[in-house]
Amino acid sequence: MRRVLLTILLIALASLQIIAVRKATFERKALPEGDATAYLIPSKLAKVTMLEFDGIAADFLFAKALVFIGSTKERTEIPRVKPWEWKWFNELSNTITDLDPYFVDPYYFANAYLTWEGGMVQEANDLLKKGSRYREWDPYLPFFVGFNYFYFDRDNGKASEWLMTAARRPGANTLYANLAARLAYEGKRTENAIVFLEELLSRTDDEELQQRYKVRLEALQGIYALENAAITYKQKFHKKPRSVDDLIRTGLIKEIPQDPYGGTFYMDARGIIKSTSNLMLSPQKKD
Amino acid sequence: MTTLWPVAMITFKEGIRNKSVIGIFLFSLFLLCTNFFMAGMALIDIGKIAVDIALSTVSLAGLLLVLFVGINLMSKDLDKRTIYMVLSRPISRSQYIVGRFMGMVLIIVFALLIVSILAVLSIILIKAGHGNENIRFSWSVVILALFFIMLSNILLSALSFLFSSFVSTSFITLLLTVISYIIGQSMQDIRSLIATSQTSGIEISQVSTKIVQVAFYLFPNLSLFDIKLQAAHGNPVPSSYLFWTTFYGVVYICLVITASALLFRKKEFP
Amino acid sequence: MAIIEMMNISKEFKDGLSSRKILALRNIDFKIEKGEVFGFLGPNGAGKSTTIKILLNLVYPTSGKACIMGKDVFDRSARAVVGYLPENPFYYDYLTAEEILSFGAIASGMDKTDLPGRIKTLLSRLNLSTASKRPLRGYSKGMLQRVGLALALVHDPQVVILDEPMSGLDPIGRKMVCDLILDLKAQGKTVFFSSHILTDIERLCDRVGIIVNGTLQLVDDLKHLLGKGTTLEEVFLREVGRQGGDER
Repeated sequence: MRRVLLTILLIALASLQIIAVRKATFERKALPEGDATAYLIPSKLAKVTMLEFDGIAADFLFAKALVFIGSTKERTEIPRVKPWEWKWFNELSNTITDLDPYFVDPYYFANAYLTWEGGMVQEANDLLKKGSRYREWDPYLPFFVGFNYFYFDRDNGKASEWLMTAARRPGANTLYANLAARLAYEGKRTENAIVFLEELLSRTDDEELQQRYKVRLEALQGIYALENAAITYKQKFHKKPRSVDDLIRTGLIKEIPQDPYGGTFYMDARGIIKSTSNLMLSPQKKD
Repeated sequence: MTTLWPVAMITFKEGIRNKSVIGIFLFSLFLLCTNFFMAGMALIDIGKIAVDIALSTVSLAGLLLVLFVGINLMSKDLDKRTIYMVLSRPISRSQYIVGRFMGMVLIIVFALLIVSILAVLSIILIKAGHGNENIRFSWSVVILALFFIMLSNILLSALSFLFSSFVSTSFITLLLTVISYIIGQSMQDIRSLIATSQTSGIEISQVSTKIVQVAFYLFPNLSLFDIKLQAAHGNPVPSSYLFWTTFYGVVYICLVITASALLFRKKEFP
Repeated sequence: MAIIEMMNISKEFKDGLSSRKILALRNIDFKIEKGEVFGFLGPNGAGKSTTIKILLNLVYPTSGKACIMGKDVFDRSARAVVGYLPENPFYYDYLTAEEILSFGAIASGMDKTDLPGRIKTLLSRLNLSTASKRPLRGYSKGMLQRVGLALALVHDPQVVILDEPMSGLDPIGRKMVCDLILDLKAQGKTVFFSSHILTDIERLCDRVGIIVNGTLQLVDDLKHLLGKGTTLEEVFLREVGRQGGDER
């Protein structure tokens, strides 16, 4: 008799437990969740506290960074990621790379997001430069520094310098040396940007980044085509075209290329090809 | 020598048959399985993560062996007086300590060899599963790292022998050994923290600095034996480093065991 | 040459963390000759185990000297000829009886070739043959005590020192130990054992020592003691009463 009672009690308690945990978890959702970004161990202390497990601590923190960025992709508000969150992301990336400065993934990952979305190009470059110091065999980190200087800072001098550094490393694409040389010239910005982007595209597996690069590449190719047509026009007619219509009219170009950002290409007063979209997606459209 | 070997053998047999050893094996197996899951998350550096987890598992297994199997063996001797079985033979106190320690070394080497083989297997499987491109680690450094992990744990075990030779309960021995481990692993980082205290903005007092200096020579610098990072990235380790670190380890172990033997001579077993 | 000699042995213990000292043994002095069976008698806490442990160099005397077959007990080779059974013995219990006996024999310098035969005989003599390959974990108290005896005897020692060898044994076990001691005596070995079971002492011993409160009150031939018409019990109680020695 005793045994039957105990078994019934056991089953009842087990069922109760299932109900209870669901209710409690549900209630928990209503509690304000602490900010995932609210705390971070400063990297010097992290090295001490992690004892001999620096390597896997870096791995786990990187997983944390991945999860964080992943979680922001679900968000709908603008901007997707707040400035202080980018700051946290940068510090986290620094801690990861202080724990294991040879770990390449956090450099790529941080650079991809800090530059394009976070607007923290300087910080991204600082990270990449740190990685470049340790990973002496790696041509890609200095290549990315070079790209950042070229594209975001418009500093061809520094870009060229870093491309040369990249070119000297084992396994570097011969492209780098050529690109470095071209950058020494002023001008040809669009063409250089296309070369850079094509290289970046070939080196990335991240789908979102690939998409981003492809779109930009398409836009730049459109601009490039218009710029070349404008040059031909000048050679032929000995004066600059006044608008893109001139180019169509004279048959130098069949039609105005489509701006994948949704705007329209035009020529400004100085003869520079621009787009009404400013090569940025309008807020309503999804990336 | 003829008396040392039988003592070493019974120590080895008793230790290796301890159920905790199976527990440590299973735990290591579990950790190595998470390797498959974790390594997949890397975008590029898959090899590094695989090696990180494999080597850390071996380290952890070694630590658990020293703390639970090793100190448990000692507690049987000292608390439950199983030592009578040995000391009633024509075996001196020093021979007892050295013989016991030899047995412990055998346990560590044998058990860690098995965990190491499993760890290496997990790395091979992950390497095979993800194609061999971006995998930069080097097998030779991995093997060296495993050797150093064994040496490091043997050193920690020697320290636990030293503590047990003058401390009354095995629990205190456990605490002291854990403290030594923590100090030993973090010492290098603490020293660099002090050295760069201006730049990092963390205040360190004069007294703390002195204490750290003393601790550096007293406690073993265990982080010297940690070349997991080098193994994970295939960074070369100069042979002079290997030589001096091994030499340091061996000297320290001999020093500690000799001190234990000396202290143990004073111990009585009423 | 006396087989066992204790010369003016005293032992002080520190009382825990305080500086108080406890005098456990006071001027213990006696000799045991070859072939003797010597019984060590005394109430609980009198110092029997301490005396024995000094002989085994497990406890160090504060003053005095002890020798076994002429060698100072500090010399580890003194123990090559000694077989010891501690009170309440513990063993590495993942080992089997065979492994423990093997260890004991080799550590005491016995030749490997004689070993398997000797272990087999000893185990069967002590009724442990069936359990010999099982780890000691599963043994009963009586079986453990018998393993202890086997361990004390495996290397065929000249001197056998037993601390409360009958403790925890049922009557069959006690008879076995008694027969064993008589057997050893017949082989010319010297046996020194402590007990507070008077009947066993009466049955087995040639000489008797009574220790009360750390002092060796009496050492005499058993026949001589009992010849006066007293029982051993009377002698014992008289000695205890003499000291005013209450149980500690």
